[in-house]
Amino acid sequence: MKILIAVSSQEYSGPTLSVGMKVARAFKADVTIAYVGEKISEFSTKVVGMAQERMESWDFDRPGVDVLEWAFEYLAEKEFIERTDIEAGFPKNTLVHTGGNRLEVYLKGTICEDVNLILRNGEIIPELRDEVKNHGYDVTIIGGSKKRNMAHDLVQYIDSSIFVVKNFQSDKNYSLLLSVNDAPNTRKAVKYGIRVAQAFDLNVTALTVSDTSLFREGYKSSSKWASKLLRRCGINHHIKFEEGKFHKTVVLLAGDDHIIVMGASTKSPLSKFFKGSKPLKVMNACQGPILIVKS
Amino acid sequence: MLSLSHRFVSDSLFWITRKKWLIISFFVSILLFYLPSPEGLTSEGHRTLIIVLTTLILIISESIPLPAVAILILIMEVILGVDTPDGVASSFMSDAVFFIMGSLMLAISIVHQGLDKRLAIGIINITGNKTWRIVLGFVAVSAILASFIGEHTVAAMMLPVALSLIRNAGLKTDKATNLSTLLLFSIAYGCAIGSVGTPSGGGRNVIMIGYLSEFGLGDISYLKWMKYAYPMLLIEIPIAALILWFTFTPREKIMDSAVRKLKVSVAKTGKLTGDQMMAIVVFFLVFLGWVFLSPFIGLGIVALTGVFLYLTFGLIEWKEIAHNTNWGVILLFGAAISLGIHMKETGAALWVAEKALGFLEILFQDIGMVRWFFSVVLSGILTNLLSNAATVAVLGPIILDMGGDPIILGIATTIASAFAYLTVVASPTCMIIHSTGLVTSKDYLKAGWKLFLMSIVLLFLVSFFYWPLLK
Repeated sequence: MKILIAVSSQEYSGPTLSVGMKVARAFKADVTIAYVGEKISEFSTKVVGMAQERMESWDFDRPGVDVLEWAFEYLAEKEFIERTDIEAGFPKNTLVHTGGNRLEVYLKGTICEDVNLILRNGEIIPELRDEVKNHGYDVTIIGGSKKRNMAHDLVQYIDSSIFVVKNFQSDKNYSLLLSVNDAPNTRKAVKYGIRVAQAFDLNVTALTVSDTSLFREGYKSSSKWASKLLRRCGINHHIKFEEGKFHKTVVLLAGDDHIIVMGASTKSPLSKFFKGSKPLKVMNACQGPILIVKS
Repeated sequence: MLSLSHRFVSDSLFWITRKKWLIISFFVSILLFYLPSPEGLTSEGHRTLIIVLTTLILIISESIPLPAVAILILIMEVILGVDTPDGVASSFMSDAVFFIMGSLMLAISIVHQGLDKRLAIGIINITGNKTWRIVLGFVAVSAILASFIGEHTVAAMMLPVALSLIRNAGLKTDKATNLSTLLLFSIAYGCAIGSVGTPSGGGRNVIMIGYLSEFGLGDISYLKWMKYAYPMLLIEIPIAALILWFTFTPREKIMDSAVRKLKVSVAKTGKLTGDQMMAIVVFFLVFLGWVFLSPFIGLGIVALTGVFLYLTFGLIEWKEIAHNTNWGVILLFGAAISLGIHMKETGAALWVAEKALGFLEILFQDIGMVRWFFSVVLSGILTNLLSNAATVAVLGPIILDMGGDPIILGIATTIASAFAYLTVVASPTCMIIHSTGLVTSKDYLKAGWKLFLMSIVLLFLVSFFYWPLLK
């Protein structure tokens, strides 16, 4: 399994990195930590590259390396990487171009099988999309953003599960709100939810929402299956059936102290593009972290 | 199967959202193509203007790579019947394109020598340790050097010098302070101010000289251009330094220890090497060639001769030049010049110029003055959105068809295209300092609007009171 964690700065990305590494630990996944720097106008790419080469000759790092260095130190502090690597310090010299706008620092991991640090330049969505497409990640973890359409673009264009670490506070007691229904992605979402609950030692609410007071058979059987799996995994949980609009109900129950886990919509991309989807509505409205699981 | 079709649709949607401006420009050009040609405009001119509009949309939106825009211009010129394939090919390559190519390669060769440390010590020796003097020194040295060797080269060399001073002053180089903003803008704006001083300061100067000569409006030599532009550069230096100082007044009024540390670190690099000496000598020869030989063999050929000498003397490897040259920009400028020439030849430039003048005549009485303002302000605005060379390449033929003194209007428009103070994308020098993460888009506006206004006022005074004396 491969996880991509997108970080932006030391100031804002602490929670993202912390949650991301915990999730990676739970999944025993390879991790790539990516910093995406600002897009450089095509008129200027070569001269900016030349200026950065000169900066390096004066022992200045190229922009973004400081964020990767911070991430490295964070991983060292939390013992996600080997002691020998930590003692040697951040290996700036192993920054290598791996095609296009991509620079990579390879670090051998311990708790995680592999940890990579990469540096990219450009617009965030195309860069993440390119990274996921070419390196086959299962989950992309990213901090919350106030940028318009960010949630839409993430869900619509990134071909992996998406974990948005929105307003996460490490000192808060979170629970996990697992959305269960008869949609095809629910089973995978439940399995991912269990891993996350184990990683953070969370209580789980398996929530099934119906527009009407009648809960169809598929909903009931899915809920039963989820409950069985949660019990087998030894996770404290309770089952909840609620009537109402899906996204409003989920957001209301989640408040700001739940990590929401739900399956991605299986509607056609065209329909999602024009009409949106339930996960997207929840992602836009929720106040806490949310994991949307794609098959 | 369903998953495959979903993926295809998803990829297509992504492509459409990323390329929406390409699609818009396509439909706009189709629509315009089927509209009848406006009165007074030839059908070739009509089609040329469609290409101009498409090009502007694609350059500003950056929805496709720049080389693709260049190639599209050439394809459209042939397909829309503006010119024959051979005609397009011959208008694509000119001495101005040789100059842009040669000067980009010269820049790489000079930066490669690592002369920045020498430059640092030179500046510090002149300015001493007072911050205001360092700022003035940065603006002056950037401007004067940029006027001869091009703004990008100087910005790339000056950047580490400024960062080194910031670091030696005990400030973090990843946190913006007034001092860091001040020093970085001193470089970027100094380079922009300097880039108009001589023809070799920027490709756009040579593009305008090329247009003036090609359209039979006048021949401007290297020294003649300097007579027109250099006084303005010299006046702008202290004013720009003052504006920057009062916009980003730093807490550190003296940088004693920073200067001392810089001197110590530079002293460790030893004496000037043989290659560095040779690189300076070759550039000096190129400069002499621009001054004395360019009327006979052209500025571009002189620049290429310099590149030839750098390669022959082993001062740089071709691999290095090939890797660092922005071939896309060369292609684009070639295509933009070709488009400019076709604007002139098809009468499109004249038609736009007449329409603009007709509109201005309704609003103002003194059209001479208004014509100047129109050219300068439009050039200044476009350069902040587009690129300075592309601005001159597209705007040049229109301005030169507006009547009045073509030399005054042409040089004023070209100088105004250096007022790239307002946005990050305005010029590569702005992008270079922005890439450090120490200046934000707001900073450009904060100081930029003052410099923009000051430059326009100064250009006005120079154009109307000094240039007529040179006639």
